[in-house]
Amino acid sequence: MVKSALPADGRPMKKNDVILIVVLLMTAFAAFVSISLYSKLSTREAEAVVYVKGEEQGRYPLSQDTVVELSLENGSYNILQIREGKADITEASCPDKICVKHRPVRGKGENLVCLPNQVVVEIENGEKSEVDAATN
Amino acid sequence: MKKVYGAIFLAVGIIVFAGAFCLYGRNGKLQQYQGQFFDCFDTVTTVTSYAASEEEFSDQMQLLKEKLLYYHQLYDIYHTYEGINNVKTINDAAGVKAVKVEPELINLLRLGREMYEQTQGKFQIAYGSVLSLWHDCREQGITNPKQAKLPSMEELSKRAQHTDMDKIILDEDASTVFLSDREMSLDVGGIGKGYAVQRLAEYAKELGMEHVLISVGGNVCAVGGKIDEKPWRVGVENPDQESAKAYLCTVDIADQSIVTSGDYQRYYEVDGKRYCHIIDPGTEMPPEYFASVSVLSKDSGRADALSTALFTMEFEEGLSLVESLKDVEAMWIGKDGEIRTSSGWKANEEK
Amino acid sequence: MTKKIAYTGMFTALAFVFSYIESLLPINIGIAGVKLGLANLVVIVALYLTSVKAACILSLVRIVLTGFTFGNPASMIYSLAGGTLSLGVMVLAKKFKFFSVTGVSVLGGVFHNIGQILVAIVVVETASLLYYLPILILSGTVAGVLIGILASVIIKHLEKAFAISE
Repeated sequence: MVKSALPADGRPMKKNDVILIVVLLMTAFAAFVSISLYSKLSTREAEAVVYVKGEEQGRYPLSQDTVVELSLENGSYNILQIREGKADITEASCPDKICVKHRPVRGKGENLVCLPNQVVVEIENGEKSEVDAATN
Repeated sequence: MKKVYGAIFLAVGIIVFAGAFCLYGRNGKLQQYQGQFFDCFDTVTTVTSYAASEEEFSDQMQLLKEKLLYYHQLYDIYHTYEGINNVKTINDAAGVKAVKVEPELINLLRLGREMYEQTQGKFQIAYGSVLSLWHDCREQGITNPKQAKLPSMEELSKRAQHTDMDKIILDEDASTVFLSDREMSLDVGGIGKGYAVQRLAEYAKELGMEHVLISVGGNVCAVGGKIDEKPWRVGVENPDQESAKAYLCTVDIADQSIVTSGDYQRYYEVDGKRYCHIIDPGTEMPPEYFASVSVLSKDSGRADALSTALFTMEFEEGLSLVESLKDVEAMWIGKDGEIRTSSGWKANEEK
Repeated sequence: MTKKIAYTGMFTALAFVFSYIESLLPINIGIAGVKLGLANLVVIVALYLTSVKAACILSLVRIVLTGFTFGNPASMIYSLAGGTLSLGVMVLAKKFKFFSVTGVSVLGGVFHNIGQILVAIVVVETASLLYYLPILILSGTVAGVLIGILASVIIKHLEKAFAISE
């Protein structure tokens, strides 16, 4: 008679198995908690980054309400307002006003574009981006 | 016996690490970069790609920009440029003489003709005379909203007489284009950008870029997927600009293009009514069926032309056109926000 | 000896079929690497009923076969890393007799996932993949328990047949 590979009582688990499973589940939980804590701490605050002709002009955290007047050459301007965690262009010198009509943006990767003035306001950092590009 | 196990484990270990190293070598220490530039097709171009360093990326961006600028100048209908015969040159010589042009212009016109046939005339590149009238009225209406007015129906129908596709005389051997009607003109606005983006994507591939997302004013084209082999995720913008919801739907694409035609960005208002920039060649008026139409296809030029054509067609007609084409899917967003899609669209929607 | 070879071959074929069946049942919850690991069931049964050597051979052959048939070089590298680490840990765990079949299977499941994620971190060169660790430990444990219980039942029924035939 060969010695059985299983416990004498035929049950599939021993006390040690249960301990192992509990320890693993606890490890998974602890890892989850520490990772989510870490990622919360390391996520940089969302900012509205202003580009004029592709060059970065300034960064404004979405957490602080502010109004920025972007004065451009030839008297052109865009007024960027940051309120309640959203960036919005509220006034502009451009004729089409597409940038003004656009809804306020808040999520990473979203942007406001003013073609005539060559101004782009893009949200950077913050939570994970929803999309890589947008079609309109 | 122990030695044998040791040897097996060692061998497997070596294979695993060599394999991992090969995979790693393929993707290297590439980082994602994003760059943007203006000056091309009157819009902003955004390129997302991976490079080993910022210098490498900006070198690539420079090359891409030069390439796109070339197409921009070639397909421009408003300006002429030193040393290059473009669409404006052809229009200026209408009824007078044939113009010798670069092959890429002939290729575009050939695609335009193909799309004209495919859409049964709803996509029109010989429609410049009508479009320019609308364009002038729109520009005026935007600069001076109080005096915004519509073009006269009489003038529109008069100009519509001069939109015969058969009067575009292509001579491929001589590489010339001749418009045999003096009053006609070409407008490649509904296809030039898309065709250029497609060629830009191919050029990027030639430069050895394997994972690129190009957006030229919302005309989005993907080379490959992302570096982790996941597809690129593209949001279809909510036509309702007041709404807080930025995207009505997101689509996953790899080696595909998505192009949207909508009425909510380029338009002007006369007596409180909105008139968009797309004009139906059947009625000479802006169509009012949808807020936007998005087209998904392997080819950005086709997608561009189709999205314009579908915008001017009733849903049923457009749907049967889309279903009859291979590799083409579409999504229609109604004025009331109602979303309708072709049968294969869902497969690309975010899971 | 001939019997041993026959068993090893049979187990290998079985593991191969299980891999195929599993590829047909996509328990896709959106996270790569979360799966039941039916093939591991065969490996464990073989480990207990035949020998360490047989288990090693069948595990390796199974990975190479599935890699060539349903996968690609990349997926094979991941499988190799996961399979080898998993088997190594299981062999040790069995040797020390600290756990029963279920415990061994759980360790195998968890270390299979850990092996894969380690390779992924090297390949993609981003430690952010560690974010997947909790879910992979969890899924490895759950899969391990299920496979372990199944394996116990199978071993119990097959044990006698194997004992007599030895």
